[in-house]
Amino acid sequence: MANLADFRYTMESCNHCGQCKWILPAKMKGWDFASICPLHEYHGFDAYSGQGLVQIAKERLDGKLDYGDGLETLLHTCTACGACDINCKSVRDMEVLDTIYALREDCAKAGYLPEPLRRTAENVEETHNIYGEPHAERFSWLPPDFKNDTEADTALFVGCSAYRHPEIPLAAIRILRAGGVKFKLLYEDEWCCGASLWRSGQREAAEKLISRNVDTFHRHGIKTLITACAECFGAFCGGYPRFSDTGGLEFRHISQVAAKLIAKGSLPLKKGENPLRVAYHDPCMLGRLSEKYVPWNGKIRPFGLHVPEKQWRRGEHGVYEEPRAVLRALEGVTLCEMTRNFEQALCCGANARDVDAEFAAWTAAERRREAKASGAEAVVSCCPFCQDALGGEGENPLPYLDLAVLLADRLREEA
Amino acid sequence: MALSCDAYRELAAIVGERYISSKQHILAGNRVKTPEIPFEYHSPDAILLPGSTEEVAAIVKVCNKYGISFIPFVSGVLPDAYANREGTVLIHLKRMNRILEINEEDRYAVIEPGVRHVQLYPEVRKRGLSYTAASVGPGGSVLANFTSTSGDHHTQYGTSRANRYLLSVEMVTPEGEILRTGSLPSGCGWFCPDGPGPGLRSIVRGYFGSHGQLGIITKAAIGLEACKGPAEYRTEGISPHHRVIFDSDLSRVYVFNYDNIQKVCDAMLALGEAEVCSTVQKYFYLPLTLLMTDSANDFWKKWTGGYKEAMSMPLVVHIAAQSLREREYEEKILFDVVRETGGVRLPEELENWWSEHMDFFMVVSRLQSVLRLGGGWMPLKLGADSVQHVCDVGQSIGEYIYEFTETGKIFDAPENYQIIPMEYGHFAHIELLFMWDRTNPAAMKGVGEFRARSRQEDLRRHFHAEDLGCLNPTMEELGPLYSNCHIWMRKIKESFDPNDVANPML
Ligand SMILES: Cc1cc2nc3c(=O)[nH]c(=O)nc-3n(C[C@H](O)[C@H](O)[C@H](O)COP(=O)(O)OP(=O)(O)OC[C@H]3O[C@@H](n4cnc5c(N)ncnc54)[C@H](O)[C@@H]3O)c2cc1C
Ligand code: SF4
Ligand code: SF4
Repeated sequence: MANLADFRYTMESCNHCGQCKWILPAKMKGWDFASICPLHEYHGFDAYSGQGLVQIAKERLDGKLDYGDGLETLLHTCTACGACDINCKSVRDMEVLDTIYALREDCAKAGYLPEPLRRTAENVEETHNIYGEPHAERFSWLPPDFKNDTEADTALFVGCSAYRHPEIPLAAIRILRAGGVKFKLLYEDEWCCGASLWRSGQREAAEKLISRNVDTFHRHGIKTLITACAECFGAFCGGYPRFSDTGGLEFRHISQVAAKLIAKGSLPLKKGENPLRVAYHDPCMLGRLSEKYVPWNGKIRPFGLHVPEKQWRRGEHGVYEEPRAVLRALEGVTLCEMTRNFEQALCCGANARDVDAEFAAWTAAERRREAKASGAEAVVSCCPFCQDALGGEGENPLPYLDLAVLLADRLREEA
Repeated sequence: MALSCDAYRELAAIVGERYISSKQHILAGNRVKTPEIPFEYHSPDAILLPGSTEEVAAIVKVCNKYGISFIPFVSGVLPDAYANREGTVLIHLKRMNRILEINEEDRYAVIEPGVRHVQLYPEVRKRGLSYTAASVGPGGSVLANFTSTSGDHHTQYGTSRANRYLLSVEMVTPEGEILRTGSLPSGCGWFCPDGPGPGLRSIVRGYFGSHGQLGIITKAAIGLEACKGPAEYRTEGISPHHRVIFDSDLSRVYVFNYDNIQKVCDAMLALGEAEVCSTVQKYFYLPLTLLMTDSANDFWKKWTGGYKEAMSMPLVVHIAAQSLREREYEEKILFDVVRETGGVRLPEELENWWSEHMDFFMVVSRLQSVLRLGGGWMPLKLGADSVQHVCDVGQSIGEYIYEFTETGKIFDAPENYQIIPMEYGHFAHIELLFMWDRTNPAAMKGVGEFRARSRQEDLRRHFHAEDLGCLNPTMEELGPLYSNCHIWMRKIKESFDPNDVANPML
């Protein structure tokens, strides 16, 4: 992780251009669905945006601003979706999201972590999952006859949301089995991935948990870790290298594995299914925020020269294509693209739920409105948090389907 | 100076508690533009988000009652959108964001201030129409640009600058009266800037716009052009390597390099005389290299690796025709003119960049990459006159800029100015963009010195090169060169704004 002072260059480079609030002109479609920052669109004031948070961070760094008057809530209402960061980086060498993370760390250090986030951290500490459910029940959804391949060097990391959506890891298991992928489960050795600690600025707790997890993966001889949760995937790729050396570990999202199996012809798929028009929602942590984080501790010379050269995460190499390839392979399924897609996707709002439920619900409803406008009858994604947000109650209701679950349903019986 | 409780209460009663704030962290989002540029800002006392013209008028009346200055703004990308004295509130017009009408037959659009380029442009393009959009990026307000901050645009050669397309407006005067101009008050609609109602067009918008000094424009009608070339375009790829392509034989981009500005001037005049091509501009080479790069490090490699020389004085030409024959005709003339004026076509790998980035000719956001080098940058001059006159201005820059580049006070790019003719070369705009190392105190000091020097040199040579936007110190200094316009500008301001509360920049 990093300190606010590490991002002074970013803070001093922002010129209020607003690119962090709007879809890139190259991808513009019209008046509607042009805004990419849900926080700004809903709350209105510029402080509620990547630009605003960068300027707040500058004042905080210079000792001109205090918490206690609502700043801490604003800061954690931001969904940390990274749309601002990617659009800013389309033309700049700035770290908007990392500045937001550093500000969150500063907020936590100053003792102003919002209560629900503090509670999540306690849950993780005590029960190793974000919900405070008994650790012993983490795998209670698993059929009793499941045989673990303890020799495999690939593991399926199910994540905390298996407590809420066991159908997702069950679908993932079915896909892996059908495709002949050898893998194992970690049972009681699997703890929360730590995304919520890292992303809420709780550096020490995140560091402890992530180091412990990496050690555990190594101890189990794991080389490849597969997950069906975009949040876990984004944490592994974009968060873990900030705390621990992940050398020797490869991370895969189930959509990547499935797309590869389908391309090889290794998944027997049903034919003659009913037509279904679906919109694919790119989860932030699977799309624009899943590029590998490469630590950089260099110097910035005059006129922006980064010495040594920095490896930027600009969102270009996120996982966008594979989930779409899976959908295209399903007979009867027609993929409808929303205006804000790929790296421009609007966040589902899930991350703000604990701090500002009304805003989170508005964001999810806005995303469903866009999915409906694309002509879709259902929205598909591959993240249990997106499922909670988009599949939850609220305006513009639309059926939600998890990609892995949809694919598993389309596997032929013999698989 | 914080707002009095009474003033705050009255303002909150107008917009509702949700749309007003004086919390420090909310104000921080609009306290400064770019922290390190040498402008002085004050903190606003409050920020308001009105939802209608009536709310704006009521806010303005309260401001007059309590002597509070107010500044309207939308994206806040210009320094004039920030509090320049104590006791100021910012009026953020973001919520007033409706496109009220797009009239395809009479070719105009009626918009509120919060409508952004990224919203209006695709809507009009879908209808085979277009307008010259500022290269400010996606979030710039169309209305602010046409009414209040009019600058110049890449695509204005075959059309004109934005404010020449301003039709009727609805505005809230600095005292809070709602005024409608042009054909609007007579009930005839939005289509005409002058009469039968009051014809305040020139006063309201001036040449560069009054930057909120004469009140707040709440609605405006802007004229639209028929879109030349294909209306459809294709976007592919993921940012930052996304591409925008016109799949059409009706569109071609050519870029030529020249070794002296007089030859560029001759080419522009000849093309204008023949009334061919859609976009013609002498572009700045520093932003051009930045547009083509992925990072500051990549910029340095390219700038020192040949780009600077290969594109030292580039003439960018876009042909957007209605038929294949028209394209071929325009190409023929273009190549004749370039041959006669000594232009050299850019190598294919450089020229091809353009046909993959056609957003440059629609709504440009990539220009924000000028800040990729860390933020110390400023546009200078920004004035307009005949093509020959502004080319002479460009030529003269070389005579004094070296004192600053050689001492390292500003970035060594002496030819970094652009010239964009408009109305087929009837007149042209010039903009000198200079950069400095904002981490170097001597360079920071050099900014003021260079600005002053540029102005003195223009004055000495009687060049009409400066932007006389609104009442500010530049206007006071250069007014005598322009028929003492600063004196009557001041009189207009005093009669519109007796309490001096509407963006009092001086
Ligand atoms: C990189 C860059 C490139 C640019 N390129 C161009 C260009 O090519 N062409 C060009 O013309 N400009 C350009 N600009 C300048 C400017 O940003 C635009 O003119 C823009 O349209 C201003 O709109 P805004 O929303 O950004 O206004 P703001 O920055 O919010 O406000 C600008 C000024 O207008 C006033 N104002 C805003 N709204 C109103 C209103 N409704 N009524 C009265 N006054 C109002 C404000 O008080 C302020 O003084 C560029 C700026 C940048 C940073
Ligand atoms: S954060 Fe980046 S995109 Fe946003 S206003 Fe600042 S410079 Fe522009
Ligand atoms: S991370 Fe997302 S919600 Fe937060 S400021 Fe950026 S775009 Fe807005």
